[in-house]
Order: sequence, then structure tokens, then C-alpha cells
Amino acid sequence: MDFDPMVMDDAESLGPVVKISQADSVRTKFELSNVDISFANSLRRVMLAEIPTIAIDLVEIEENSTVLADEFIAHRLGLIPLNAEGVESLVNSRDCDCEGYCEHCSVRLTLHAKCTGDENMSVFARDLVPTGERLNQVLGTPIVTDSEGLGPLILKLRPGQEIKLECIAKKGIAKEHAKWAPSAAIGFEYDPHNKLHHTDLWYEQDPKAEWPPSEYAEWEEPPQEGEPFDYDAVPNRFYYNVETAGNLPPDAIVTEGIKVLQQKLAGLIHELTEGEGGDGANGDYNGPRSPEYNTGADGFGGYTTPFGNAGNQSAWGGAGGTTPYGTTPYGAGQSSWS
Amino acid sequence: MNAPDRFELFMLQEGEKKITEKVVTGMSNASDFILLKEDHTLGNLLSAHLKQAPHVLMAGYKIAHPNVPEVLIRIQTDGTLTPREALVSVCKQLVAAYGHLGREFQKELALRQYADQGEHAAGGGGMGGQNGF
Ligand SMILES: [Zn+2]
Repeated sequence: MDFDPMVMDDAESLGPVVKISQADSVRTKFELSNVDISFANSLRRVMLAEIPTIAIDLVEIEENSTVLADEFIAHRLGLIPLNAEGVESLVNSRDCDCEGYCEHCSVRLTLHAKCTGDENMSVFARDLVPTGERLNQVLGTPIVTDSEGLGPLILKLRPGQEIKLECIAKKGIAKEHAKWAPSAAIGFEYDPHNKLHHTDLWYEQDPKAEWPPSEYAEWEEPPQEGEPFDYDAVPNRFYYNVETAGNLPPDAIVTEGIKVLQQKLAGLIHELTEGEGGDGANGDYNGPRSPEYNTGADGFGGYTTPFGNAGNQSAWGGAGGTTPYGTTPYGAGQSSWS
Repeated sequence: MNAPDRFELFMLQEGEKKITEKVVTGMSNASDFILLKEDHTLGNLLSAHLKQAPHVLMAGYKIAHPNVPEVLIRIQTDGTLTPREALVSVCKQLVAAYGHLGREFQKELALRQYADQGEHAAGGGGMGGQNGF
């Protein structure tokens, strides 16, 4: 394997090896090697389905004279990506002490638009305004990435039509509904030359001519002519392409995914060693009900910190005190590992 | 109409335990572990790594029905340690491995950003004057 000697670092040279080939505000592409497929696939699955984000879950419609049905609009609202920065300190609304929802477990957004001109009017996500108390200044704000600053189109109004509604955005994971998925898509592939025959390529005459090579084909040795099949070979280099829906930065999706997996495993360790006196004896783990155990910082009591040993605890938190990931992609400045 | 609530896929009901051990009768040093509200993410991960663990003779998992969020993991050891100890040590090893992965990822990311500096504008609304444009 031809990895950069710079990542070969004292005692850590035996574990998983990461090589990032692209990292910007939309996607992170990286190669993960020196792990087995179950390890790689668990990370993929968890990034798809189990990272907490925030999305509109309740809509109260006060006025709707558009041509669209209330529930149709409510569904569209649910799918609008909202900024999830700081969502870890939002209480899961099912565990909250309040009745229904409150500022500790939800973000309130309002939308009010009326077409007073004589041309049809478009209503965009930027017209959704967060109101009331929020845990921080950005949590729940609709994500706007287009150059005009509009965000996704919600609906259109004809002259005289009006829409007025209030939304309650809650914390959730994509296992419950895809609107909570942080990633728009996750590319995952291995063995670009299909040496392991894990896939059967359909073809007319010649699979080589008919199937375009993977972009990772040149990263790995092509099979030799007449090379015998290696029955012992297992995949150990995996190529990810994590694309964000906007609510979390792509690198945060990866680090949050790792954190969720660690919490799952730590939860098992805790339950399995309970009553042994030893390490798991701090009582902050009395029957968790939510996927993440709502225990603030590291979630699981006293076992291992998610990997931020170097002092930057909350995974994608910035080094010391800066806003979690507002500045992450570039110029995060003094990252604490030095 | 009678569809189960989606949150039943991941939220433990009142009184449910995340993981329970059932000793397998008729097999030496063997236990089944039932994980509630989990899926292939943990089932495959744990059984694959148990197979590689020392003193584990046999490990496997099943999800008996796709609509029922329960994983069964069966472990048989050679007797040097109990199935429960084998499972705990694999879990600990995996927590450490993912921790390592997280650190490697952060390191690589910082290197990448260092290399990219000047090529890209600062992402996410950062004014980041240090880039010089
Ligand atoms: Zn509440």
C-alpha cells in the first residue's frame, strides 16, 4: 500500500488508515483501508440512518388559499434541510418534560406570504423564519446554498392567494424518516477491478469494453492476464463519497457517524459489565430511551471519549471554544492535535 | 393503519433491556445475545469481529424477521473466557478502532485543508481573512 508516510504515526500505524482525496463544503471523498468490510459498512450505514439532525415535524396551517393541499405543503416543509449545528444539545422531544414541544426540544419557524402583485409569486425556504427562543443562532435555520440566496422552492402563489403557517422542527434520525438524513448520498465502493467477483457485470460482448472503469481503478493494481482467482482475498480498501444535504458539513457527518457507533458499542459494554463493580459503575445510564443517550458531552459515562482525547471533545467541535463547525471546512486554525 | 410506529425501530420500550444473554443449552460455552432495536449495523459488525477474536470458536447473527428490530448473536468460546467476556472485549476493541479512525480522519482533514489553502475560498460563510482574497 502506498500511503503517505506522514499519516504513519507512532503507535497508531496499525489501525484504520484514512486518505482524503477531496474535502469541501458539499462532499468529502476518502479512502479507508486496513479495516474489514463489516467495519467499513457499519460506518456507511450509520451515516445514512442514525445521525441526529433537525427537521420540520409538525405544521400548523392557519391560512392556505394556494392550490396545494395542506398535507402536501407539510410534507414539502419536512424535507427542507435545516441547519443542525448544535443539535446534540437539543433534547429529544419524546424525552422532554414538556407537553408537546418547547424551546428545549424544538425550533419554531413561521411562514407568511401573500401574493399582492399581479404576477405569480414563488415562496422559498428563505421565507421560513425561525422565531422564539433557540439554543443557538443558527440551529433550525433553513439551508440556503444557491447564489441568489433563495433556498428550495416551497410553493407558488397566484395573485390574491395566501399562505400562513407555523412549523415545529424537532430532532430525529433518518431511521424514523428520511427527512432527518444528513447526507444527500453516500458513495461506497471497493475492489474497482472486481477481482473478488463480488459483483457480476452484465455484458453483451465484452464487460471491459462496455463498463466504464471506476474513478478508483487506477488506485489499485489491475488483474494480470490469466491470474488465478485468489480464494483468500478479502476487500480492505473502501472508497467513500459523503455528500451533505446541507444540514451538517460533510466531514461532520463522518465524525458524527463514528461517534454514534462508539456510543452504541459503549452502551453494550456498559450493560454487559453492569454489576461487575469495575468500570461501568457510574449511574448515568438508567435505561436510555433515545438513540443517543442525552448525557451531554460524551454520552457514555466514563468509558472512552469519542476520540477527541486531544482536548477538542465534541468530535466536530472546533478547537477550543469556537463555534462548532461554522469555520470547519477551511481555516479552522489551531486544530489541537498539532 | 396498523403499521408500527417508525420510532419503534430504535427506541426501547418501557422495561426493555438493550441486550440480554441467554445461555444455549446443549452447547458448551455458548450464549445467545439478544439486542433489541438494533439491525445489521451492529449485528454484522460484532459477529464479523467475534469470528476473528481469540478463543471464539463460533459466532454468527440473525435478524429473524425484517420487520422486527431484534438481532440475535450466538457466540461459542473455547472456555478460556465466557461468551460475554468475548463480546465485551470485541466491543472495546471496536470502540478503540473507531476512535483511531476518528483521529486519523481529523488529522487527514487538517492536512487536506492545509494543502487546499489558497485553492478554495473559505467554506460555510467563513470570512477567513488569512486566505488573502
Ligand atoms: Zn420540550
